[in-house]
Amino acid sequence: MKARGLPNVRKGRFVAATLFAGLLAGLPLAAPAATLNVLQSEAPRSMDPGDQTATFTYTVLEPLYEGLVRRNKQLQLEPALATEWSSDAAGLVWTFKLRPGVSFHDGTPFNADVVVKNFQRHLDTKRGLAASGRIRQVLASVVALDDMTVQFTLKGPYPAFLSLLTTGPALMVSPKADAAGTLSRLAVGTGPYRLVEYRSGEYVLEERFSGYWGKQGGTERIKWTWTAEQSVLNMAIQAGEVDIVNPLPPVFARMVKANTALTLHESDGAVVFFVALNLKQKPLDDVRVRQALNLATDRAALVKAIMFGFGRPANSPLSPVTPGYDASLNPYPFDPAKAKELLVRAGLPDGFSLSVAVQEPEARIAEVLQGMWAKIGVKLEVRKMESGVWSNAAFANPDQKAKEGTGAILTSWSSGVNGADMQLRPLYHTASFVPTGANLGFYSSPALDGLLDKAAATADEAARNAMYGQAQRLINEDAPHVLLYYKKDLFAAQANIQNLWTEPGGGIAVRDAVKP
Amino acid sequence: MPIYLLKKLVTLPLILLGVSLLVFVALRALPGDPARLMAGPEAPQEAVDAMRVRLGLDDPLPLQYLRFAGAALGGDLGTSIRSGRPVTVEIAERLPKTISLALVAYGIAISVGLSAGMAAAVNRNRWPDQATMLFAIAGASIANFWLALLAMNYFAVELGWLPLMGSGTWKHYIMPAITLAVMPTAVIARMTRASMIEVVGQDYIRTARAKGLPERVVMRKHALRNALVPIVTIIGLNFGSMLGGAVVTESVFNWPGLGRLLVDSVRFRDYPTVQGVTLVAVTAVVMMNFLAEMLIAAINPRIRFD
Amino acid sequence: MTEITATLAPTDSKARRRRRWLSRRRSIFIGGLLVGLVLLAAILAPLLSPADPYEQVLSDALLPPSWDHPFGTDDNGRDLLARVLYGARLSLLEVVVGVGLAVLVGVPLGLAAGTIGGLVDQVIMWTMDVLFAFPGVVLAILIVSILGPGLFNLLIAIAIFSVPVYARLMRNVALGLKSMDYVEAARALGASTPRIMFDHILRNALGPVIVQSTLTAGTVVLSAASLSFLGMGAQPPMPEWGAMMSDGRNYLGVNIYMSLFPGLAIMLTVLGFNILGDGLRDLLDPRS
Repeated sequence: MKARGLPNVRKGRFVAATLFAGLLAGLPLAAPAATLNVLQSEAPRSMDPGDQTATFTYTVLEPLYEGLVRRNKQLQLEPALATEWSSDAAGLVWTFKLRPGVSFHDGTPFNADVVVKNFQRHLDTKRGLAASGRIRQVLASVVALDDMTVQFTLKGPYPAFLSLLTTGPALMVSPKADAAGTLSRLAVGTGPYRLVEYRSGEYVLEERFSGYWGKQGGTERIKWTWTAEQSVLNMAIQAGEVDIVNPLPPVFARMVKANTALTLHESDGAVVFFVALNLKQKPLDDVRVRQALNLATDRAALVKAIMFGFGRPANSPLSPVTPGYDASLNPYPFDPAKAKELLVRAGLPDGFSLSVAVQEPEARIAEVLQGMWAKIGVKLEVRKMESGVWSNAAFANPDQKAKEGTGAILTSWSSGVNGADMQLRPLYHTASFVPTGANLGFYSSPALDGLLDKAAATADEAARNAMYGQAQRLINEDAPHVLLYYKKDLFAAQANIQNLWTEPGGGIAVRDAVKP
Repeated sequence: MPIYLLKKLVTLPLILLGVSLLVFVALRALPGDPARLMAGPEAPQEAVDAMRVRLGLDDPLPLQYLRFAGAALGGDLGTSIRSGRPVTVEIAERLPKTISLALVAYGIAISVGLSAGMAAAVNRNRWPDQATMLFAIAGASIANFWLALLAMNYFAVELGWLPLMGSGTWKHYIMPAITLAVMPTAVIARMTRASMIEVVGQDYIRTARAKGLPERVVMRKHALRNALVPIVTIIGLNFGSMLGGAVVTESVFNWPGLGRLLVDSVRFRDYPTVQGVTLVAVTAVVMMNFLAEMLIAAINPRIRFD
Repeated sequence: MTEITATLAPTDSKARRRRRWLSRRRSIFIGGLLVGLVLLAAILAPLLSPADPYEQVLSDALLPPSWDHPFGTDDNGRDLLARVLYGARLSLLEVVVGVGLAVLVGVPLGLAAGTIGGLVDQVIMWTMDVLFAFPGVVLAILIVSILGPGLFNLLIAIAIFSVPVYARLMRNVALGLKSMDYVEAARALGASTPRIMFDHILRNALGPVIVQSTLTAGTVVLSAASLSFLGMGAQPPMPEWGAMMSDGRNYLGVNIYMSLFPGLAIMLTVLGFNILGDGLRDLLDPRS
């Protein structure tokens, strides 16, 4: 790290500032050397893992909380608060033996009753917790068989159930803290770290929990801060002010790579970027038009322009890390001539106009598409929106979308390694029309619905993946989305930080990170 | 206290009433549903509806306003939708940060602006005057977020002299305060110069000079005292735009003040927090203007405002 | 620029007087020169631009300045010089619309308050005080959030927070003049109230309003940039300077040109309007 201070400032130059600042500054907050400083691109939304669905919030909460199972560095499932588990042949009933001798940071002992309470708060529709939906779609009931055994009954077979148990809403919170209603700002879990301080405008400070049941390999403290400024993320890691920056904007990836004091961590991401076309709007109801848009999209150029090469053109609605992904598909190579021809055949020789609703950070993608599609006569009107306004536009019903003239939604979706169903069902199933799910363009195919339902109920992995292969081809052909690219997850760390890993979707696991 | 100041004091609550109504109505007109935002894009509709009830957003608007206004009078600004904490607590946590930053920035602006303006006035139409004024106008012409980012890249990354962002030590104040001070410094310098030049041309200054008083004394004792009136006015009036500048500066430097709280809260449609922060900011502006007028009355009892 | 000095300089005066006049009016000259440059860029943009400001050449993204691209290229491989030149049109449009709206709303309100007085005066000035109490950016954030982002909505927001300035200005002028002898005389001669307003008060207010408009012009351009930074500015692919600068800031550290050139353009424009405004004030202020 560079030495910082003001030795070289000429006297007098900052006299006024120094004077006033000196008078007003409080005591400096001395951070001990064994603090891991992590800077992220957005603030945590809640300290309750069940009341948020944001990747960068999950990352902050991950050292504080644990679920029944978790993923290790190799992304394999391993026991956490459960020591062993089994399911019946149909995959409907799951039984978990719990780890004895575990207690929460507030002293509450961990047992079967705690697990039941934790899932019941999601089944209770009156609670309105942000992440309950995922649990409620799958889980029918949960009961305690004895003090250290719980049994889950699912609504139907759900092969990705164990994966679901690693997500936010399945992390165990202290029932005492939940009842007190303080969880949104005072995290109480069983994790290797406990929350020291959460200053909503400033930072989250975590410290090793002395009563932890397992091995603690990480630093003494973890301090999380955040900034929305892209260039500041890079400046912070370059200046040595923080140990980890997540995510690193791809434009700075090369710069970080060139700096020997820093390490660029890159991994295949689970995030799929796409433009959902509104099938209830003419001429997007015509499959030829949708295919034309796909053909007019130069995905390789997009990856280069937006991700500076740190990504892959999308060839399927699933991401490469999702089980069942078919790498051999190549439905829409860049072919503007063929696209133009399809438009002519659809009776649109002069092209047409289309609007796309996009959030601020993704506006550039839309801008590049605007340039690409202009070449086949499609006039794309980019509607750059702030997140709140965007959700309203994106999750509007067909009538409202027609009224607002929303022709397309540009966004991304990630289900991580948690299975194809979590990607395909919310985005493409007829039952997932917005606002219920995230079928943003009202795509409806009975054939696909049948496939997805059947696959979800199939326990055999090979058979299931074959069905998902079929589903991918079907979706590609119907082209309800213009699939864009899979981004690589990038984060930067000081070179001396060891034992970090990425969770597909952009999260990083820092609970075992070592800072010499 | 002069009568006109008392009158003014009486109108303050009226202005605050107008402000609170305006903010309340404006927020409800915002597109974007706080319940949907809190529930997240993946949440099913029933969860969103449950969230809406939880947040008290299903009541009729007049009832919501009355509840808000009534509580606000008792010092309760409601509960933040985003953090679940009382808005007063959120504000109390951030307010000192914004006030201390604003004070440091104003300190810089007043000391630098006054001396530069006086130097310019004394050297009217010679190079110190022209240089100062050019800097003043140029300073007022740069978008401060960009200035801030360039300064960060240079002083924190290239030179490593100053911390990049955050707050905590006195060093953290330097860049944000200077960035925030640029605009008011320019305004104060220009006003000081103009006002000094005008005062210097008046009879009593000529008389003072004719009496053989040293130039220093003439300037300090007679000219500056009278020139202060418009300067104090402009300082008071500029407080609002300074708070506006703080919104941007705080966002860039990750300064945990009210400005950042406001931007984040608008983004999350955190109605109670936006209401609270705006009310506090507006009250501060109104109070500063009032203070400036009181100060002016003290400096020069003959002046009055209507 | 020669046109500006030509119209402002008295042609019949002697050379010496004219030089002295000019040196005293130097701010008008310099300010006018800068504003004239922007005007020229706006008019001649198609002739001066080396490329189409909207044409994306993704393989040429983020290039530093060169002969082909004198200002370099942006993140989508568009020529920055072309975009800055075309951006001048948008900036002037911003000034015209932003200032125009504020004047159109503020002047009649102030006039009404000052001449009618009574309850009308109190209600109008109360509303103005309420608006004025808001920090400009805060008010603009609220307004743009309601109307949705976009250049025009942004200008409405900026105009609204400038309205109280004009209303106050007009009211003061009207109040000051109402009691003046010649207005009283006009009324005694049977002139109707609207006639008095227009003939005397409005004419006398023209000077201060012009000065204030020039000064507001700078604020409009700068506020547009600040709001673009907060994500509330012009929509892509508009070559709006504030939006360009705020896009460019995300590349600081790798490429400075993307924000530097629009930033300089904004600075020179604001500088021009401010200097011009100062000069006009000196010129029109009877005391100087």
